[in-house]
Amino acid sequence: MQKLGERDIRALKIGAVGAVAIIVFVIGSKWINHWSQARSSLEQVKAKLELIDIDKAKQAGLLSIVPVIEMPQKEETQTLLFRNKLNEQLKRAGINSESLQVLSGGKTPRAGYKLVRLKCSAKCRLTQVLDLLAGLNENPYLVGIEELRLRCDPQKPQEVEMDLTVSTFVK
Amino acid sequence: MSSIEHSTYKRLSAIAMSREESGLKAVEVVKLADALEVLWVKSSQDSSANWQLFAAECGLSVGLAEQQKTDGDKTTVIGFSSIGVAFYHIGLPAAKESEIKAMVGMQAETLLPLPVEQMELAWRAGRVRNGQVAVTVAAARRENLQRFVENVRGLNPARIMLDCEGAVTAWKELFCGDAKDAVVVNLTARSTQVCLAENGRLSNAIVLDMGIEDFENKDEPKQILRPGSSRIRRAESTDSGRAETTERFIFDVKSALEAFGYAEAVNLPIYVLSDGSSTLKGIVACLKSAGLNVKAALPQIQKVRAQTDFGIEQLYEYRVPIGLALMALETHVLRPGSVLGTPIGGRADGFGLFDSLYRPAGTKEKKAILYSPKIAGAIAAIMLAAFIIVSYVIVVITPGAIEERLQTTDSSVNIDLLMQRHNLTRIVAMERPNLLELLKQISESGDSSIKLESFHFKKGQLVSITGQVQGPDQLYKFQEALMNKSGVKDVKILNPSRDSKTKKLKFTMTFHYRNFTNKGTRM
Repeated sequence: MQKLGERDIRALKIGAVGAVAIIVFVIGSKWINHWSQARSSLEQVKAKLELIDIDKAKQAGLLSIVPVIEMPQKEETQTLLFRNKLNEQLKRAGINSESLQVLSGGKTPRAGYKLVRLKCSAKCRLTQVLDLLAGLNENPYLVGIEELRLRCDPQKPQEVEMDLTVSTFVK
Repeated sequence: MSSIEHSTYKRLSAIAMSREESGLKAVEVVKLADALEVLWVKSSQDSSANWQLFAAECGLSVGLAEQQKTDGDKTTVIGFSSIGVAFYHIGLPAAKESEIKAMVGMQAETLLPLPVEQMELAWRAGRVRNGQVAVTVAAARRENLQRFVENVRGLNPARIMLDCEGAVTAWKELFCGDAKDAVVVNLTARSTQVCLAENGRLSNAIVLDMGIEDFENKDEPKQILRPGSSRIRRAESTDSGRAETTERFIFDVKSALEAFGYAEAVNLPIYVLSDGSSTLKGIVACLKSAGLNVKAALPQIQKVRAQTDFGIEQLYEYRVPIGLALMALETHVLRPGSVLGTPIGGRADGFGLFDSLYRPAGTKEKKAILYSPKIAGAIAAIMLAAFIIVSYVIVVITPGAIEERLQTTDSSVNIDLLMQRHNLTRIVAMERPNLLELLKQISESGDSSIKLESFHFKKGQLVSITGQVQGPDQLYKFQEALMNKSGVKDVKILNPSRDSKTKKLKFTMTFHYRNFTNKGTRM
């Protein structure tokens, strides 16, 4: 076998270095892609955490307005749950409501949920209305009061006619 | 001058050169198992001979690069005259070498006649007694040492050593110096080295301004101008003159002993290196007469082999360079291409007075491994790779770890669900008017004379209230009070009219409540 010259050895060395460089480049570029994906995933998680991680004062403020909340469910289930809970709250406040009326609404632009409203009408005392309003936030399915109409009878100032429309989110 | 023909031994040999009053002397020796072989000796004819010229005369190549090639199997050492070297003995607490070094540095500031920056120090730790270590410090003016280094640098010696160390080694090896502690007296033509050897190693040295010439018989007195000195020394030839010289010599030797701390110990043996000449015999006799324990140390010629005639006289004449060469062979004197070891300090192979001033060409300073650019580069590359891998791993595992941690805290929780719930809470909070608070604000704004008949709130519409008041003043006050409530704005009175039956003022009032009444708020 013929002995390799210095030039041949140099060419072989350069070739070897080139081959190694190609392998490193191929593996490295894949690795870097994976790394950048992992980084973007990490950034997303961090962003989510930042959204969740609000300061205590804000958290307390939110909790005072929304002490309990349940994630919306399918319309039938959610409407049933919401109606039952509201009925329970009305009873607790001593309000004899006529049957609750379900009013469908369109999709909300903010939450991506469909809005379902319940309307109740009743004759009751003002204190009972105030009791109901005070405990309404405890309903985990409640989104908010859409409408409240109170009418007093001048002859019976303690008695009011109440029309209340409240809403809930459904999937 | 005498010389022995150069031989072509391949064994490791040492060449030593030193300067005496008569000129430069050089030897090349090889240490055999039981003897010493002197390959050649040479001395210069001129007392002020140049080191490099003399080296060239000895057949040594001069010039750094050349010498490494041609004298590669030889170790060259140079002797430095001890005249300008002062020795100090200090007692220090037994400690580590680095701590002793620091303590020596501090002590030296108080001992030295010149500022420490101008002096070069070398120290050697001795025996430890009662927790104290005896340290011998050799000090010399740095400028003198630097000048000497410049003179001999062309020879590229492996080391530069004190010539009195060569004298002590020669006494030990060639003059049968078997005493543990002794004083070695080495006389040259016009000076005398009085060296204290402890444990066979140089511990102190004093150079006296008298030599063999002072004791030799002269027909007539002559005056000699000492090199490097302005003092004119008179050599006496008369008996009275010799007696005076002898007396002075004895006095100087005793003073040296006193300086060594052995004034009272008359039994400390004093060895006068001698070739058996009558002058040296006379010197020994006169020292004995002074009550000192003096012996003449004669060279043991049987310990030396040489290819040509090499007698006691030659051995005596070249005792110092031979001693230096023996030191070079016995200790690990470094050769060009090797790694230089410990810096200044407590080295066992002699005082390294020149260690910080001179390094043979081609030797590498022993450095910490991190000083090597290759090692440092490799470590940096490994650290960089480790950093990248760790960063990658952290990035890859962190999202999973966060979710896992959340699930550990509450198994029902996942980060997406949490986020959805949080979003929902936020949206619901924005959609939930506090009507209880609003009713309370309305109630607080009016006095008892105001009778409210209705209240209507609907998202996206103005809040409206209707009622009756006694007169417009109360109505306006009610409006004003309501306007001052937080969240209430644009309070307007609509269609105020008198009720024909009750004569009261009926009114309708509208206002905005927070953002709930704005158009578009209604979902």
